[in-house]
Amino acid sequence: MDNPRSTKQLTHMKRTLILAISLLVLGATFFAYTSLNKEHTDVATAEVLQELSAHELFAAFDANQEKATLKYAEQVITVTGLLLNKDLSNNQEPQIILAGNGDDGFIRCGFNAEYLQKAIALVDGDQVTVKGLCKGFNDAGDLDLLTDRDVVLSNCILTTLDQPET
Amino acid sequence: MRQITIITLATIALFTLALTQHSGGVYKTNTGNISFFSHTPVEDIAAENHKVKTAFSSANGKLQFSVLIKDFEFEKALMQEHFNENYMESTKYPKATFNGIIENINTIKTTTQGIYTAKVSGKLTMKNVTKQVSTTATFTVKKDIVNAKAVFNVNPADYNVKIPKTVINKISDNIKISIDADYAHQH
Repeated sequence: MDNPRSTKQLTHMKRTLILAISLLVLGATFFAYTSLNKEHTDVATAEVLQELSAHELFAAFDANQEKATLKYAEQVITVTGLLLNKDLSNNQEPQIILAGNGDDGFIRCGFNAEYLQKAIALVDGDQVTVKGLCKGFNDAGDLDLLTDRDVVLSNCILTTLDQPET
Repeated sequence: MRQITIITLATIALFTLALTQHSGGVYKTNTGNISFFSHTPVEDIAAENHKVKTAFSSANGKLQFSVLIKDFEFEKALMQEHFNENYMESTKYPKATFNGIIENINTIKTTTQGIYTAKVSGKLTMKNVTKQVSTTATFTVKKDIVNAKAVFNVNPADYNVKIPKTVINKISDNIKISIDADYAHQH
């Protein structure tokens, strides 16, 4: 004959186990869901790794590309520099060029397509401050037709226009 | 008499130089588009890059590309993260380059509006692996812009891109690469 007390204990253990497994499955599902639907970095609200001038940023990549890539790539930074010109030839991503270093060194900043009108309104020669996601250094190495070198930023915003108040 | 000869020769030289510059030159853009598309029955994966640096010489047909791997944008952030960290190791290998030639450059009249077909071949380098690729490109000359479009396929395994067994059925071994670039003449 079964001991009623041990049967009760067994049932209690079973319930606890089922509850633990259910919580585990729920947690794993939640983790998988949030990972799969992870949002892209929101530049406007993201914390800035560093504020620096266009010259400083270019000089960092020029001096040591590997080190600068490790430090800045995929990081949100704020860059201030002289607007050389606007490159609006790609309507999917309007771009502006900041002076980086003489004739062959630039900071290329890409904006979302809806930014086109704001980019058009900028005036060449102005000092602008851009907040964006650094993507690295596009120098073409030994490709002789592509001698200019760019530090590339994406998903940029103009901080004077778009930075939310804190 | 000697002075006249020198002036005549100088004029001819300048005229020839001007003609050479007009008929040949470098066409360039920093805003070219490259997209790729991977199709499998399980999942489609696509990404785009709008800051492709590319140029060609209408004098000798040389064609070059340089593209930052980290600048490819995916719809899903997690896919982008896996692409950069696990597959392309983009911190270690930040760029892909192409150094090739437009084989029949002489048939493309960059100063005459029209649509021209050209065979392009050259060396594609990704993750420190260089392979010969070739494709057919369409060059469309319209006003001051030369638009180039091309499509070719790559197998990730050829470029040392290691796909884990757990996701191998989600990533095609024949990824379609599409190029679309508007080149402007460099003065």
